[in-house]
Amino acid sequence: MPGGKYSKLPGIILGAVVFITMEAASLIMISRNGQMQNLRLSGMAHSFMGVVWGSTESIRHYMSLGKENESLALENAEMYRQLLYFYEREAQIEAYKDMGESPVDFSFTPATILKMSRGSQHNYFIINKGNEDGIRPQSGVITRKGVVGIIDAVDKHYSYGISLMNGNLNVSARIGRTGAVGPLAWDGVSKDKAILREIPLQHKITPGDTVMTSGYSSIFPPDIPLGVAGKSKIVNGAVYEIEVLLFENFSSLRYVTVVENNGRDEIINLENLESGEADN
Amino acid sequence: MRKYFLVSYLLMLVLQILICNYLQVSPYITLSILPAMVLMLPIRYGTIVAMILAFLSGLSIDFLAEGLTGINSLAIVPVALLRTPILRMVFGSAIFSRREDISIRRHGLIKMATAITLAQSLFLILYIWADTSGTRPFTFCLLRFILSLIPGVLLSLPISNILSSDGRDL
Repeated sequence: MPGGKYSKLPGIILGAVVFITMEAASLIMISRNGQMQNLRLSGMAHSFMGVVWGSTESIRHYMSLGKENESLALENAEMYRQLLYFYEREAQIEAYKDMGESPVDFSFTPATILKMSRGSQHNYFIINKGNEDGIRPQSGVITRKGVVGIIDAVDKHYSYGISLMNGNLNVSARIGRTGAVGPLAWDGVSKDKAILREIPLQHKITPGDTVMTSGYSSIFPPDIPLGVAGKSKIVNGAVYEIEVLLFENFSSLRYVTVVENNGRDEIINLENLESGEADN
Repeated sequence: MRKYFLVSYLLMLVLQILICNYLQVSPYITLSILPAMVLMLPIRYGTIVAMILAFLSGLSIDFLAEGLTGINSLAIVPVALLRTPILRMVFGSAIFSRREDISIRRHGLIKMATAITLAQSLFLILYIWADTSGTRPFTFCLLRFILSLIPGVLLSLPISNILSSDGRDL
């Protein structure tokens, strides 16, 4: 008979309802009349509710995994940032130790970028350290990933700097094992590219070569990594112009180190003296 | 005949109440003829009717006899629920198609004793579980189960004969 299997279904459901109702009524009567049974049934009820609540909580937790992942990603980013900060500090300490053995003495001051422009051709930044913290104009601003810029003006508690993403700023840089030195400046377009100019043709340039500060300027210590060499081209048949992919990510920059050459005044005086004698 | 069964059933109910009130031999022995009474309900009664009758019977014993209220109804309703499978397993499906009530004379003592033992076992397991509430050791519960099952089955056999249609013919 078609549907015969299903014709028993209402009877089964009714039977189940009757059974459950009567058993529940019996259990209620028992729990009200027997203290021991009441305790036992309460325990069982609590266990059952624990399972139900536990399962509900598991389902709710599963449903909220997306949000939790997002939160974990943010937390992870924050921890990564802190890790980088400590790496930076460690590098700074190491650099400082090295400087102790170096004839040139540099001092390092950690700072935080409060404001940074990125959209114009003459980008700048402001840090939370000023002359009260020992910051002076013409100090370098670096991170462990490269050069950020140069301090241009200093106030009591804040300093204004010219970013490397500013066409007016040139940094003396050295490329690869050959040690060829030239001025490095922003390409004016990208957020992560610069151009290393005036590299003589006799130097063999391989893409992937590391570009570092040369140490020839009185602003930055030597060997601060800046980026890697990319494409190169010959300009005017005389020198190379090399594209440099910067290590520094200017879009998420926050913690920096202000580096100051303690012998810079002496160097400038010497330069002035030399230029004066030449004029005479 | 129906009237005879109803009277017999009510009398057995009274007997069970008397057993509960006056025949408590030992804490190890729980004498009950209620499973046999439920098992002997006419075949034409479906499971739902059997459950309701079992519940009411258990409830009346709970209220009129000494002991924990609700314990007999708790233990007997599952027996009523499984009455049909037990009967089908022991006596075969033919009794349902012929609507033939069970009796010792027709089906033999062994089959009847087996069916009563199964029903009695289920009843005792639930009864002892609810009564002890996990506060007594397993050995006590096992001993109580065995010592209650044997006299319970022995007592239930003549009861089943009284309640059977053969008994009604006497």
